[in-house]
Amino acid sequence: MGDIRQSLLPRDVLSAAKELLYHLDIYICNLVQSGRQPPQVDSKTLELVEEFILHAPKDRNTPARRMSALQELQLLEIMCSCFQEQSRDTVRQLMFSALFSLQGNQADESRMALLGKLVSMAIAVGRVPILECAATWLQRTHRVYCVRLAQVLVDDYCSMVPGSVPTLQNIHSASPRFCCQFITAVTTLYDLTSEELTPPLELLQMIASWIQDDPRLVLITFLNTPLSGSQPISSLDVTPLGGLVRWCVKAPLAYRRDKKLALTNGTTESEPEVGPLFSALHLSILQVFMLLPNILNEKGLFGRLALLQMESLATLTSDLSRLLDQADKHTHTSSTDTHTLSQLTLDRLAQALQVAMANGALLCSREDLRAICSRLPHNNLLQLVLSGPVMYYNNIHTPPLAFSPHAAHSPIASHPTPHPAHTPHTPLATHPSSHPQYPAQPFMTGMPFPFRPSY
Amino acid sequence: MSAQKDCEFLVKRARELVSDDPCAAKAWLITARTLYPADFNIQYEMYIIERNAERTSSAGRLLYDMFINFPDQPIVWREISVITAALRSDSQDKHAQFLRGLFETLPGRVQCEMLLKATEQCFNTLEKAEMLLLLLKRFPESVVQHGVNLGETLLEAEASENVETPVNCFRKLFVCDVLPLVINNMDMRLPASLMQKYMLKAAEFYIGYVTRGPSPDVQIQGSQDGGSLKSPSVSRGSQRYVIDGLSEKSSVVAEPWERLLDILAVVGARCEWQGDKGQRSYVDMLQRVKELCRYLPGLEGDTRSRCCSQIVICAALVLFRSAFLYVSAVQPALFQGVNALSLGPWILVEDLSSVYNDVEVERGPVKHAHKKRKLADGREKTMGQYRKALSSLHQMAAVQQPQTGQQSPSGQASLEHHRALIQQASCHYALGEYRMACEKLLDVVGGLVPPNQEPTKTPEDQGRIKTKTRKGNDLRLLPCTSKAVLPFCLQLMLACFKLRAFTDSRDDLSLGHVVVLLQHDWPQGEMLFLKAVEKICQQGSFQYENFFNYVTNIDMLEEFAYLRTPEGGRIQLELLPNQGMLIKNPSPALGVELNTLLLQGVQTMDRHHTVTRGITKGVKEDFRLAMERQVSRCGENLFSVLHRFCINEKIIIIQSLP
Repeated sequence: MGDIRQSLLPRDVLSAAKELLYHLDIYICNLVQSGRQPPQVDSKTLELVEEFILHAPKDRNTPARRMSALQELQLLEIMCSCFQEQSRDTVRQLMFSALFSLQGNQADESRMALLGKLVSMAIAVGRVPILECAATWLQRTHRVYCVRLAQVLVDDYCSMVPGSVPTLQNIHSASPRFCCQFITAVTTLYDLTSEELTPPLELLQMIASWIQDDPRLVLITFLNTPLSGSQPISSLDVTPLGGLVRWCVKAPLAYRRDKKLALTNGTTESEPEVGPLFSALHLSILQVFMLLPNILNEKGLFGRLALLQMESLATLTSDLSRLLDQADKHTHTSSTDTHTLSQLTLDRLAQALQVAMANGALLCSREDLRAICSRLPHNNLLQLVLSGPVMYYNNIHTPPLAFSPHAAHSPIASHPTPHPAHTPHTPLATHPSSHPQYPAQPFMTGMPFPFRPSY
Repeated sequence: MSAQKDCEFLVKRARELVSDDPCAAKAWLITARTLYPADFNIQYEMYIIERNAERTSSAGRLLYDMFINFPDQPIVWREISVITAALRSDSQDKHAQFLRGLFETLPGRVQCEMLLKATEQCFNTLEKAEMLLLLLKRFPESVVQHGVNLGETLLEAEASENVETPVNCFRKLFVCDVLPLVINNMDMRLPASLMQKYMLKAAEFYIGYVTRGPSPDVQIQGSQDGGSLKSPSVSRGSQRYVIDGLSEKSSVVAEPWERLLDILAVVGARCEWQGDKGQRSYVDMLQRVKELCRYLPGLEGDTRSRCCSQIVICAALVLFRSAFLYVSAVQPALFQGVNALSLGPWILVEDLSSVYNDVEVERGPVKHAHKKRKLADGREKTMGQYRKALSSLHQMAAVQQPQTGQQSPSGQASLEHHRALIQQASCHYALGEYRMACEKLLDVVGGLVPPNQEPTKTPEDQGRIKTKTRKGNDLRLLPCTSKAVLPFCLQLMLACFKLRAFTDSRDDLSLGHVVVLLQHDWPQGEMLFLKAVEKICQQGSFQYENFFNYVTNIDMLEEFAYLRTPEGGRIQLELLPNQGMLIKNPSPALGVELNTLLLQGVQTMDRHHTVTRGITKGVKEDFRLAMERQVSRCGENLFSVLHRFCINEKIIIIQSLP
């Protein structure tokens, strides 16, 4: 394909790009036809893409060709219809990666810029094939770039053009896979550490309503991905659950800080309370956890795959202890209010930990939990969760339940980041709907236990 | 201990939150359930939140969990009984609908199990049956196991509860709900005897239902006193009917005769009855029975006995239905639910359409001896039936006697209670007992309100009456209204007097009554009037003192005026009232013609024979004046005149008949 360069050079930027896309399409079709495994686009072709579509300078001597805004729009349009018309999935995917897979070179900046514009446009005009390719891209690309793409989309739809959120809302029905990856990217992006890293309210409302309407949405990528261990290092989590838990747990503290700022700035915001929104979102997440046992069992992964990462939870708890410390020290508002919000944060943390653990999303022992929560202030529910349920359950209606011996599987982390501190995990008991079993507890009955809640 | 405390703590927190932040409350409970999955209170609390918010599917899911995990919890059973009660009720309120929807979200297997267990826990037979019925309706496969048992339980309950009528709640459930499920289930083998028993139970119920009497405004509880008929004050507007133990809605049985026919068709098919599988109508059924009766002598054994039951059952049902249709037409107020407003009651009476025919025609041509005997035999039979009818009518009149104080102000209701009297009159007439006939009749007429004007007759009506020549006794149905009854009474009286008036012997009083009565329906009776005039001419005189009181017909007046003229034959007419007085106090102005008239005409009264010309002259003048005045009365309402005649002359009329 390298030989077409000479014919492209004399053309104007737009028609050269067009011509290259045309040839790329033919080239990839032939590639797929030939059946060579794996089909791989050669480096010469990738160079042509960089030169004639991304307009990265080939070397210092040749000046970069530039496109006008109008030409760029025309090119995006051509690309949109090019993906739309290509009926074969593999061809589309190869084409998309030929154009947008990051190569670790100078061209990546313009690659990201073009990708952002293309996906934004695909959302606006409902080009499902592009969203599907973008979803795959979001799975394979380093999270830093995924977050950058998400930022572009949030800027376009939530900040730049007021009232365009409903357009973004449509991605839920257009491409649930893309939607799921978008949520993961957004929750990774906004970690509520500063005002900038707090999601816009509209975005928050949209995500909450998506998940409320269809809790399985957050599991789409997980459900559609064969667990091959081929997940690239540092890609996004396979589900947005970790990010969402972080949002809900930190929200009472983060938004209190915002409120305080608003008060000191004298701006009276008429925005609705975020409280109920996070309350509903938190409930949705717990409901998603409850879907997991069946799904994990079907995949034969129960007790082997942790959808919540222990180390990210550790980060969360240490963040929390710092924030709660600060809140205690710098509190200017009523201290009961501060106390209530701190307790809400800890309640949610306890609930998320317990429900995730009981449903096989979190693979650890209560001992491990006690370790990461040791620096947090007192909370009754958290104490209860950390100590675990009392084993001799004294209920006249319920016969004592037997422990089922559980075969220990070697755990597979959904994320290949090594995690030596917590392997091997204590296997967790399964919890299918009507045969409740208790998670194994590492402590003895009848022994006084310091973690019992005081209520 | 501590676990219990943990659970109490968790539930308490959820309860505190539920009103302000239901999502948080649910998050607490979800967490609690993962900690203590075997704790009932946690799950019940979750269920209560969903139920109170009327979220059907999530509440259903939680109820399912509780039913599976805590099958022995009394609270679960209380909840289930509330739901099954909603299923049985026909309440349309929002909560009942939610509970029904909740039940629908459960898997069929669980629904089935719930209903069965709920049935087991039910001690009231009726509720238990209703519950089991819910099960049978939803799960047809359960009919095989429970259908017949349920039916028998209901029949036993009916027997042991000593209910007074087949129209009771147990029978209603059995016939309308259980029986169709049982007989339509072809997986079951049912003996013919059992099916016939069920068939008769059904017939008894449906016939009892359609013939139930009107209820007093409150509600009658399915029981009817056999003897006493309903008081006249029964309002026909409110036809609410509630079978004791059932709701108003489930007390309604739509199209009872059709449902009975449906059951008959299935039972017939299953008992291998002759004829096409679906009995389409009662008329078809009667036709089929007729055909079967022809084959019957050629049959033997099982086939014969099967055929006999078919004939007996079908014929009986046709009979009951026909009798019902007849009675509900004749006396709709007797039954509840028969539309009595469109058509009033009817009275079965002699057909008097030939009352204006000539006396000779009616007597009929001379017959041969054997024919006469045959006719006489037939007549004897008919007479016997009239006697029977009379005795029943006496009884009926006795119970229908309106009680004092309960008389309805509208003449209509009271008229209904004279039905028996009218029919008695009609029977007495048929038996030739004219005096009795008129006596009964005049009792009735006293209570009638004369219609404002004579009914305008259609030409066809007149034609029909004229052309019809009667043979034997025809009966007809008369609407039970003043408008129809008064003309009938007049005709019946005419019929009673007709033969007497035209016998060879002289009976001026009867002839006079006939003349008065012939005014009704004029000129229908013109022929008979001319015959009367002819008789008067033959007699040469005629005495009827009531003439000017009751004859207002211009044609008749003209004819009588003419009779007095020389051209008319100078007939001596004694038509003025109080002429006896005149005669007692003779006036010289009285004319000689009238003198003679008076002398010859007056037969019965005490009189003086000393009459002068002067007196007769005065009489002549009176007659002219009376005639003139009478002509001015021509426009008077004839019904009022004749009604007055019946009331004022009641005694004379009755006395003038043997």
